[in-house]
Amino acid sequence: MRIVVAEDLYLLRDGMVRLIEAYGHEVVATAGTGPETLQTLLTHRPDVAVVDVRMPPDQSDEGLRAALAARRARPGLPVLILSQHVEQLYARELLADGAGGIGYFLKESVFEAEQFIDALERVAGGGTAMDPEVIAKLLASGSTDRRIERLTEREHSVLALMAEGLSNQAIGKRLFLSDSAISKYTTALFGRLGITDDDDNNRRVLAVLAYLNKA
Amino acid sequence: MMRGLVSWMASAGVGFWRACVVFGVSMLAPAVWAAAVGIWFWWWGGGPWSWIAPLVWAVLGTLALVRPVCRITRHLVARWTGTVLPGGYRQPGPVTQLSTGYWWNGYSYSRTSREAKQDQAMRIRWRDPANWRDLRFTGIAVFAIGVPAALPLAGIACAVLGFAVLSPIIGALGVVVALASAPYAWRPLGPVAGRFLRASPAMAMADRVTELTAQRADTTVAQAAEIRRIERDLHDGAQARLVALGMSLATAEKLMETDPERAKAMLRDARTGAATSLSELRELIKGINPPLLNERGLLDAVRAFALDSPLEVTVSGNLDRRLDPPIESALYFGIAELVTNAVKHAAATLVEVSLVRDDTGVIAEVTDDGRGGATMREGGGLARLRRRLAVFDGSCEITSPEGGPTRVRMVLPCASS
Repeated sequence: MRIVVAEDLYLLRDGMVRLIEAYGHEVVATAGTGPETLQTLLTHRPDVAVVDVRMPPDQSDEGLRAALAARRARPGLPVLILSQHVEQLYARELLADGAGGIGYFLKESVFEAEQFIDALERVAGGGTAMDPEVIAKLLASGSTDRRIERLTEREHSVLALMAEGLSNQAIGKRLFLSDSAISKYTTALFGRLGITDDDDNNRRVLAVLAYLNKA
Repeated sequence: MMRGLVSWMASAGVGFWRACVVFGVSMLAPAVWAAAVGIWFWWWGGGPWSWIAPLVWAVLGTLALVRPVCRITRHLVARWTGTVLPGGYRQPGPVTQLSTGYWWNGYSYSRTSREAKQDQAMRIRWRDPANWRDLRFTGIAVFAIGVPAALPLAGIACAVLGFAVLSPIIGALGVVVALASAPYAWRPLGPVAGRFLRASPAMAMADRVTELTAQRADTTVAQAAEIRRIERDLHDGAQARLVALGMSLATAEKLMETDPERAKAMLRDARTGAATSLSELRELIKGINPPLLNERGLLDAVRAFALDSPLEVTVSGNLDRRLDPPIESALYFGIAELVTNAVKHAAATLVEVSLVRDDTGVIAEVTDDGRGGATMREGGGLARLRRRLAVFDGSCEITSPEGGPTRVRMVLPCASS
């Protein structure tokens, strides 16, 4: 994959580039500020971009805004956002366009290098991957979509893992269930959520959206 | 017609009585001065220094009378017009015994607590800037309050003199003046006292200085406690974990050749430790200054907090511009505390937060549908919140009837630039 890395701290940027290259992917460009990120994303057209939320010049949410702007210019441009903290608020803003190709993780998710690269590939393929902490916050918070409440406990946990960006196979491994059992659950929960789209990737995005969208 | 006349007569009667009282009070000081002049005339020709005794009498008499006259005036104003004019006199501070055995009263040391208190009372009495205001008022009152209040009395005197000695026309004129002026003669008391008996700028300033000194002490203590907490958290948390991490890595390095399996396990532990210390740091940072506050400002930070809350929290507001960071932080933690209270104490299911900015400041309102009965206890969370807002001259009002709902309104003034 051709990847762009946007991160202002040199140590982290360097580590990220080495990690990605160690897994055989190519880092085509790096950026260290918000405006630079936007320009790099639009000129290099990477398969996926890894973007830090907080960057110069203002040290506020420059990275996130650059990513959103780039996706407005090129809908569906795959972006994986990394941050020192995760917020439901940001997750919703990222998913709001419904185009998929979104990842949102804590920086330390990089520690699980294989899972991180896996998520990166999934996002590059148009999927959605969320940090378990986002999901945990969602489950702990007050009102969730009514449709979500109709799910059984098992379907609930399948959906949570799906939102983290795991494939059916990986979900099966986590829950000690067979692939076919998982696909039965996913079909059932798509039905309950009223998602009829045929494209599996898209259905997953919609399911996660339903999951994230409170009434 | 009859009833109107009766009520008018009643008000004239009351007015006459009040005018007499006001006249008496405002003429106390002139009476002393008049007596001084009398004594002076009495001793006229008694020598080149005969004026000294009357002068001393006038000065001492005035000084002794000033404060009682003002106290009575304030009392009358409160009773008749319902306006409470704060005296604004200096209050004695605590008298404490030092480790040396001496007593400190805020000004000087004394051997006994009695002496210290007496000394303090004297100093407070004679150094109070309110004395100048009282003196000024006593002087002004003679003309602005005493003279109008003398009108009905003068009318009566005129009437008595007129009917008895001079002519009935003067007597009738006196009656008319007395009756017409009676209901109104005492009324300058309210506005004049309101204008001249209020705290003077110097006193207001002194009060403000006292208030700010107390607040500064509060803030410093709170800040020091906060810094200690952060230090302790870092020391016991992240710092200790990083040491453990370094040790694991050192051991793994050593084991790499002899026991690769154990080395691998150690590295895994190290990774878990790093992740844990990161999440601890994240929590700590959130407690110091939530990152969203920096990245997005108050409204979005409160929205994010609402999203993470176990309750249904709705947030509305019109903050289109960023506020000053300290104000944002104070309001954020205030709102967070109130929402947490709604969860923990009020058993609420729904919380509404509104953040509105107008020309003078920011108003934050938090309303829940819980069981109410929240009170401001000394040392409690709400008292702490009020103190935090007071630093910015903000205020915090609570209405929380038993059975709910609880509504807390925080107002912080800030420039509308």
